[in-house]
Amino acid sequence: MVLRRKFLAPVEAVDGGWRINLDTEERNLLMRLMGELRALLTGPDDNELLRRLFPVAYPDDDEKEEEYQRLMREELVASRLGAIESVTRTVDPANAKALLDEGDTIAFMQSINAIRLVLGSMLGITDDDSADAADAADTPEHHLYDFLSWLLEWTVRSLSPT
Amino acid sequence: MPTTLEPTEVMEPDLDDDVAVDRPWVVLVWNDPVNLMSYVTYVFQKLFGYSLEKATELMLDVHEKGRAVVASCGREEAEMHVFRLHEHSLWATMEHDGPAS
Repeated sequence: MVLRRKFLAPVEAVDGGWRINLDTEERNLLMRLMGELRALLTGPDDNELLRRLFPVAYPDDDEKEEEYQRLMREELVASRLGAIESVTRTVDPANAKALLDEGDTIAFMQSINAIRLVLGSMLGITDDDSADAADAADTPEHHLYDFLSWLLEWTVRSLSPT
Repeated sequence: MPTTLEPTEVMEPDLDDDVAVDRPWVVLVWNDPVNLMSYVTYVFQKLFGYSLEKATELMLDVHEKGRAVVASCGREEAEMHVFRLHEHSLWATMEHDGPAS
């Protein structure tokens, strides 16, 4: 698997769309993470792990902030759930041969990043120093974080105009 | 011309009001060490149509200075930008552009 990766990007732009080159085990891992993200998004909205997914828009104006959140939070939840639904479909091992369109690939990118942000909060990454410490750490959660970073990097590369 | 140093009463316009259209709203993106530099650059290109060069410059401002102004526009448009940045999990805020900035 490690050797294979040297020659094949996990996400690549091909004729007619984008292709995810992940094995069944990796696909199942992503499916499970999407389920966990969905549960987090549909659970209590004061969960500290959600903070990075729902940033404050008006830090200096409580009134406008309240109005903004009242109007937009639900829409942001719906947008995130829509992206998760897309990823759940496209990473399903049963659809391994199907190509993704640009919208699916962007949904994939957004959702992978959303999980990284939740993990980043769990791992206490708040500044450059704690980010460096996390880079050097060696726990399953840190490996997962690194895996998602690697996946995101390739996804961005596949979407970027050449 | 005032001849004393007494404070003068002035009518401050309600700057929060939407009619204060002279000063635009600015959309700011703040540094979050979790976000990858390549990702932030891509999002700036995608959402604002910036060139790779311009998007990279803004990303580096966020990374090195802690924040960057990525757009300056009317309030509704600024809210739309903030929403789309939040969809991409970037830490975006908006504020009324100050006269000094």
